[in-house]
Amino acid sequence: MRTPLSSGLAAASLGLLVAGLAFRSWQVVLLALPPVIVLALGSLFPPARPRLVAVRTLSRDRAEAGRDVDVKLVVRNDGPTLDLVEIVDVLPREFEVVHGTNHAVVSLERGGTMPMSYTVRSPVKGDFRIGPVRVRSLDPLALGAEDAVLPTDARLVVAPTMEDLRRTKLQPRRTRPWFGQVSSRQLGEGTDFWGVREYTAGDEVRRINWKASARLDRLYTNEYEGERSGDVVIVVDARRESFIGTETDNPIEHSVRAALGIAEHVLASKNRVGLIVQREVLDWVPPAFGRKQLYRILDHLTRVRPGGEWPFAHVAWVLTRFFPRDCLIVLISPLQDRAALNAVIAMEARGYDVAIVSPSPLAIEWRLGEQRPEDQTALRILRMERDNLVSQLRRVAQVVDWDPATPLALALRRIGTWPRPS
Amino acid sequence: MASTQLIPSALRAAPVVTLAFLVGWAVLDVSAIGDGRWAAGLLAVLGIGAAAVILSVVLRWRGIRPVGLVAIGASYIGAHAFVLGVQLVSALVFLSFLISQAELRILAERFAPLFEAALPPGERSRIHSALGRAVLRLIIAAVLSVVVPILAADLAVAGIVPATTIPTAIALAGALVAVVALLALMPSLSRRAA
Repeated sequence: MRTPLSSGLAAASLGLLVAGLAFRSWQVVLLALPPVIVLALGSLFPPARPRLVAVRTLSRDRAEAGRDVDVKLVVRNDGPTLDLVEIVDVLPREFEVVHGTNHAVVSLERGGTMPMSYTVRSPVKGDFRIGPVRVRSLDPLALGAEDAVLPTDARLVVAPTMEDLRRTKLQPRRTRPWFGQVSSRQLGEGTDFWGVREYTAGDEVRRINWKASARLDRLYTNEYEGERSGDVVIVVDARRESFIGTETDNPIEHSVRAALGIAEHVLASKNRVGLIVQREVLDWVPPAFGRKQLYRILDHLTRVRPGGEWPFAHVAWVLTRFFPRDCLIVLISPLQDRAALNAVIAMEARGYDVAIVSPSPLAIEWRLGEQRPEDQTALRILRMERDNLVSQLRRVAQVVDWDPATPLALALRRIGTWPRPS
Repeated sequence: MASTQLIPSALRAAPVVTLAFLVGWAVLDVSAIGDGRWAAGLLAVLGIGAAAVILSVVLRWRGIRPVGLVAIGASYIGAHAFVLGVQLVSALVFLSFLISQAELRILAERFAPLFEAALPPGERSRIHSALGRAVLRLIIAAVLSVVVPILAADLAVAGIVPATTIPTAIALAGALVAVVALLALMPSLSRRAA
């Protein structure tokens, strides 16, 4: 492959030759020689076609966003000696090289190896592919090049960071007939005291209330409130219109972080959790218990990218057909349109419990903007519109207006038990 | 530590310094022209060239960089070819510097980021040696591109080659066209052979 410099030198040489002949100046004709000499020197040592083999190893194939991952790449030359070879390990554009470099320009003799080691960090979640390795054999005067692509791919899954919600009270209001940790307001197996009744044959001895029995001269048995589990369905709004801000600071990234935190917290309390994501496709995970379900949800959330224009009506349709009716729906959305209001009213009418977490797009925009006085006026108007929408939504559901710069746990703690007991 | 900072700085500075030197040289020669119209016209071409190079850096618009270099070269050669008379040695040195500037810029773009990154010593020394080879070849090319035409001129002046006849001019032109065509076709010919 010829480079633009070699074409330029050839053109300059011909131009000077023609000019020299036209003006009958032998000195100008001689000036045509330097570009030709440089071209000739370049042609004496043409770049060889690279025949290389690359092996890449990663320190881990799964990492949390913002964590460092070490990459080791060894390139071996199985072909002729390469005078000057440029090696680039192609990285996803989201990646940042924090130590070392993924780029080298070296000489490689036949059979020689070039080890490269560097550290990458991804501030955003995703399922990424590192590679291929692009190689360009050059002549030292940059007049010609031979390219090759070494198909050595490695997969690196970067999981979103998780909001810490351990000290938050977050549980479904309605329970199902499975043991869990949610007070069911019904008699059953549990630890919270409910009342006493007269002893009946077959009652466990350890449940006898000895104080009451002594006082009333008859045996009495303690009764407890049954602890059951419920269903929570998390709906993440990752539509294109919800994307405001940068790659790392936008409502969708924060929604994913919140969704993962809520899922982890609710699953840890022995409830079932399901997920619906509005993105380019309407993606859902049916409710289930346990650690495996958390990994399933994590896997789906890792792939969330802004896109699609699925209206809330489609989410409602999926909910009615594939999810249990008495579940708690946690809608995580920046509430960019008023369609959310109608959707939430419709869901409430169908008997769902709805709670909303709304990462504020205004707070993100304000942080990223220039914060001029006229912006302040615009912010005030937009905040009034948002407050109006939020107050309308609060008539039918509990809403957490969340500034993503603060921890979600803090925003949830401000409103106490969430959602409010009915 | 000092050398690790010095090499990338020197690499990045080299093409800029070379370009400034070339523009200064061209300005000096053009301003020595007595005829105001010629001087103004050539200074305008030189200004366009310098502006194109600066804009290509500021706006990262690489397409206009060759236009800038061609304009700077054309103003110098035009001044000597039309008004001042060509002084062969200085013209060859100017042209050699102009070619070296383009080569140095490519070297700087390729190597400077590597020296700025924190690298293990082994990797760094290999990149050092690759840079050394590239600079050596560039120096050889620059020296030869001045010396060979001077030798050719000396041979012509000494009468070994009859330089002033029409057949010689035609033969020289034909040879140059053949060499350039061969060099242009060589990569595709070698690829077909491989």
